[in-house]
Amino acid sequence: MNPPTSTDPGCVAACVKWVDLSPETDPTSGLPVPSAHSWGFSEADRSAVEVALRLADDRGTDAVVVCVGPPDAQWALGELAAAGAARAVLVTSGNPGDTRGGASSGETARILADILGPVGLDADTVVCGDISLDRGSGSVPALLAHHLELPQALGLISVDLGDRPRIGGATRDATTTLMGVRRLDGARRERVGIPARAVMSVEGAVAPLRRAPLGRAVEARRRVQRESSPRRPEPVRPARILQWRPPPRSLPAPEGTDAFERVVSLTGALEERTPPRVVELAPPQAAAEILRQLHRWGYLTDAGAAGAEATAAKATGSEPTDPVTAEPRP
Amino acid sequence: MTEHTAERPSSDNDDFDAIVVGAGPAGSAAALELARAGRSVLLIERGPFPGSKNMYGGVIYGRILDTLVPQWWTEAPIQRWVTRRQTMMMTGEQALTVDYRTEAWGRPPYNGATAYRPDFDSWLADKAVEEGATLVCSTTVTGLLTDSGRVVGVSTDRPDGDVRARVVIAADGVNSFLAKEAGLYGEVDPANYTVGVKETIALPRSVIDERFAVRGDHGVDIEIIGCTGDVPGGGFLYTNSDTIAVGLVLSLPALAAGGRRPEELLAELKLHPAIAPLVEGGEVKEYSAHVIPEAGYDMMPELVGDGIVVAGDAAAMCLAAGLWLEGVNFAIGSGAAAGRACHGALRKGDTSAVGLGDYRRRLESSFVLKDHRKLREAPHLVMGELAQQKLPAMACGVAEDMFTVTNPEPKAGLMRIVRRQMRTNGVKLRSVVGDTWRALRAFG
Repeated sequence: MNPPTSTDPGCVAACVKWVDLSPETDPTSGLPVPSAHSWGFSEADRSAVEVALRLADDRGTDAVVVCVGPPDAQWALGELAAAGAARAVLVTSGNPGDTRGGASSGETARILADILGPVGLDADTVVCGDISLDRGSGSVPALLAHHLELPQALGLISVDLGDRPRIGGATRDATTTLMGVRRLDGARRERVGIPARAVMSVEGAVAPLRRAPLGRAVEARRRVQRESSPRRPEPVRPARILQWRPPPRSLPAPEGTDAFERVVSLTGALEERTPPRVVELAPPQAAAEILRQLHRWGYLTDAGAAGAEATAAKATGSEPTDPVTAEPRP
Repeated sequence: MTEHTAERPSSDNDDFDAIVVGAGPAGSAAALELARAGRSVLLIERGPFPGSKNMYGGVIYGRILDTLVPQWWTEAPIQRWVTRRQTMMMTGEQALTVDYRTEAWGRPPYNGATAYRPDFDSWLADKAVEEGATLVCSTTVTGLLTDSGRVVGVSTDRPDGDVRARVVIAADGVNSFLAKEAGLYGEVDPANYTVGVKETIALPRSVIDERFAVRGDHGVDIEIIGCTGDVPGGGFLYTNSDTIAVGLVLSLPALAAGGRRPEELLAELKLHPAIAPLVEGGEVKEYSAHVIPEAGYDMMPELVGDGIVVAGDAAAMCLAAGLWLEGVNFAIGSGAAAGRACHGALRKGDTSAVGLGDYRRRLESSFVLKDHRKLREAPHLVMGELAQQKLPAMACGVAEDMFTVTNPEPKAGLMRIVRRQMRTNGVKLRSVVGDTWRALRAFG
């Protein structure tokens, strides 16, 4: 692959993914119905481009849109970039017959890192769309941040871009260039400070993409720079892994004078054993009981069990108990 | 894809030689002809891709493509080749069908085919792009740019959306706002329009093959009359690979006056005993509606103005003549003629209405206006009461009387049956003779 010529240092890059926006299945067979017209870029990706454009405007630098995908994506990528990006780069697979991109998350992140890294576009800030629609995991931005050795702020639902209402009071401070808000479990929000050099991923509602001027839309297809990713090496065939089977060993014959006794001996059916115990507890007490049982079985050390007991007691507001006897500790 | 190699417009004031508004069959054919002639063409499409509204009457007759795209059948995205053509007359619970099939229509050079318009229109637009046309989608033309009454470009809904050209081809579909803005349309009569509604219903391919008695990529096109109650119109049903499309074409004024809703009438059609077994068990994938310029020749606008020509449905080129329901081939024919005429006008440097006059001459000498002129009375006949209600009822009644065995009564003679049915359905001999004479003249 020829590395793209670097534009102004510190450009802002938006990474987008070519996906089937409205996948259909045949109701009679359950098989996916191929459609050339339902592919495109998600709202999250379009939002990422808008965020990149605004950041680039704010910083007086260029915005670049990058996609690892099939040649089919060229037109749509050009239209996306026509909204104001200095250029668009489409990295197509070097593998013949690969018409849909088909790169894994890890491979996509590596290709993007090559393009966006210091020897490529040298992007300061990278903005990606959040989890893609094709059952994506949202892992590419994180992997990309790893490859680029940049901090990451993922799953943002708001970015302080200066000209839109701020959600959750996200405002800039002295130590960070940007402020963002991201979603946490339990309907909670987290305000994060985002340094100037970072990888972000944004949800679709963060910033609707502006409409491209007609002149740029007309030129859109020609604006896309095509790159080829290196031909992927033939997949390494892993050594065949078989199910572990313990080596056979000789066991003494079961004791017993008749067949019934030998079956009882083999199965241990009539031996004394600890009967199962059913307890119904509130969640904090249940957690404490699980910890005690784990300690009894030897999965927790005494110190670990004591710490867990103390945590459980704090959660339930009760006295710490002995992990073995469940008696209040002195 | 080949790179855009078209020559630049000769005037510095113009961005393009030609702007084609609408990337349907007419627009893409026009753009293809112009680009092939080396002209710079901007093809503007309102939808996200050409053909994004999958709505038409069912069959594409491809003979007109022979000159535009030689051997088109080897690459066009076709669903099925129509080898069975049925005309069905129905009443509430009767149906009389004339069924014609030929294997000849199922082999090159073929006759008609069903297709999904998103696939077909995109394919044709891509042909224009391959020849050098520039296609821009998701862009709505909002008006014409004029200079001293002459059209010099269009404005769009995009920022900085004005674009200029030496000629504009309005292929923006029925109810063309551009043709109206250019003053090419006179007073618009709603009676000249119908509304078409269509459901696309998914069925397994094997079920379609079995129900319609076809194999492989052969398909069926059924035109239906008498299925719209007291609203003048007609119905259609055609097969795709693994879907069927069933729909109605309904008179707009009668629909409004009767307070009926098109989806009600379509539901009634699907419940008809002749249709219900064909659609049974299918899943509706799509419902769409579209206005159709029904009156043909008698409602056509002025086809050219200074700097503008009108093509396709925008010029009411759809042929709705009862036995013949054709739109796409007329659109392609008119679009191709527009492209060639505009190229000639550009070469002569005269894109005034006079310079573009060759467009009408080309249409007059082709099937487009010859057929329209010959069949100009047909839409009125087809939408008349006799063809809509009395004829289907009488034909079904005659068939029922003929094939009903009334032993121990002897069989009635055919003339007696016909007279009885004419009385029953209120058909006067004088009106039958008159309409037959008109039909003979109309269908020539």
